Amino acid sequence: MEFNSLALDLDEIESKYPENPLDFFRNKKLCLFKACLEKYFPGVRWGIHDLLEELNLDISVCENQSCCSGTFFQRNLITRAQFAAINERNLSELNQQADVVLFSCNGCYNSLLRGRDFLKNPDVKRKTQEILSRLKAKSSGKNYPGKYEILDNPKLKLVHDLDLLYLIRNDVLNTLKFDLKKLKVAVHYGCHYLNLSRDKKTADAYLRDKTKLDELVLLFGGKPVEYQEKEACCGWGASQIVIHPKEALKITYNKLKSAENVDADFMLMPCPTCLYTLSKPEYREKINKYYKEKLDIPTIHINELIAILRGCEEERCITLRRKTPRLDEIYSIITQD
Amino acid sequence: MVDDIESDDNWNDDFLAELIADVEENRNIIECISCGKCVGECPASKISNFNIRKIIQKILRGDKSVLKEDDIWYCFLCEKCKRVCPREGINIPLLIINLRNESFKKGYGPRYNDLTKYVEMAERFLTSGVVVEEQLGNKLPQEMIDELNEICNFARIKYVFKASKTNKNKRKKRK
Ligand code: SF4
Ligand code: SF4
Repeated sequence: MEFNSLALDLDEIESKYPENPLDFFRNKKLCLFKACLEKYFPGVRWGIHDLLEELNLDISVCENQSCCSGTFFQRNLITRAQFAAINERNLSELNQQADVVLFSCNGCYNSLLRGRDFLKNPDVKRKTQEILSRLKAKSSGKNYPGKYEILDNPKLKLVHDLDLLYLIRNDVLNTLKFDLKKLKVAVHYGCHYLNLSRDKKTADAYLRDKTKLDELVLLFGGKPVEYQEKEACCGWGASQIVIHPKEALKITYNKLKSAENVDADFMLMPCPTCLYTLSKPEYREKINKYYKEKLDIPTIHINELIAILRGCEEERCITLRRKTPRLDEIYSIITQD
Repeated sequence: MVDDIESDDNWNDDFLAELIADVEENRNIIECISCGKCVGECPASKISNFNIRKIIQKILRGDKSVLKEDDIWYCFLCEKCKRVCPREGINIPLLIINLRNESFKKGYGPRYNDLTKYVEMAERFLTSGVVVEEQLGNKLPQEMIDELNEICNFARIKYVFKASKTNKNKRKKRK
């Protein structure tokens, strides 16, 4: 295991606050990391924002944060040091205003931890500091102390939305107006949630993460269903869907088809990139063209689902304009009295 | 049939040494026991000829053909192999990124300039700090966008960004 000390230590919170883990977050400043793809699914942002506000937590976003740049690193368009420098710039800004940063996207979450991991390599660390020093030399605006230094021991902690929601699940349950009406739900965790070692201290943590969404579905009155491709990739594959669309869509097709095979009513996931891949009408049409099969299973992000269950207005929680198949059906089933 | 048995003569450290010089962690692939667990769970292997076990073997024999072949460009970077590998410290996604870098340096690899999606994303990142048309909430202040550009100096992303301007000019001319 290679636990990254930036990751919020969930076990520690559970042991220190056995009665109510939510207490750990009181009097702390929380910040929502802005994932680029939330633009297409605003409910992913508002879902968690509105919930935490109702739970009286101090919540903000950071105006000075850029894209995590993971997509460019993964396509060899920037070096490790450049990626780490973009990361340090973000961490330093986030560290100015928050104690805990929350992630709605598996990719961003992985990126921020990974950028930090790269600094364990002395050569990358030196190059990263050189880049930051160059920025310092050129900067003209107002600075704060340490702005262009690699953060030595940041107080900042990072946590994935799903891990937070699971940790405070009983408080979440208390805010819900509706339940899942026994709907059958095929959960999808996503590769950079399931396979990540950076945020895990023990091998047990892998196992625990594999059931969190299932347990939330049960708690909210739904039925999690087992399906063959449950742990498979959505097909995005670090842009494989852009570079080798026909091949990558086979993976997307297998996933959606496998969930339809067990009559799931919808698919639930904790990442807007997976959601983008599994929902995009253009991809569904291509699947239809390549594999002669029209798949219309709806897809929802966990934050959007929380918003629906809390009785949020349609536009704020799922923006039905996004044309995801049959989403309106699921919305009306859940919200009927 | 003696020829088929891998003797120690087949091993050659040169290629591996180059990869280690670039990314120290690559040293760990010596630990690979060729069990194939990574291949069984690999999405890229399901849709292409990509076979990470074979790629590792080639590297350990000093065979650089992997840089020329298409296979390395199919990896999903999904980290599944890292999770299932019984050996400690083998980081295949990082190895693949490293191999792709080497491949680029030698002039192989895909031409991102032709991939509109990438050109657009690079352009947006260097002009607004995000990769979608318009972010949810306020825009990043200009001085920070300048900082991102400074960080990315001499990076491939800059060349892809330049391609966005060239493409636009071409389009204009055509009109
Ligand atoms: S990271 Fe690459 S090699 Fe590893 S399982 Fe995923 S696709 Fe296969
Ligand atoms: S799982 Fe690990 S040890 Fe087994 S073949 Fe793959 S890289 Fe080698």
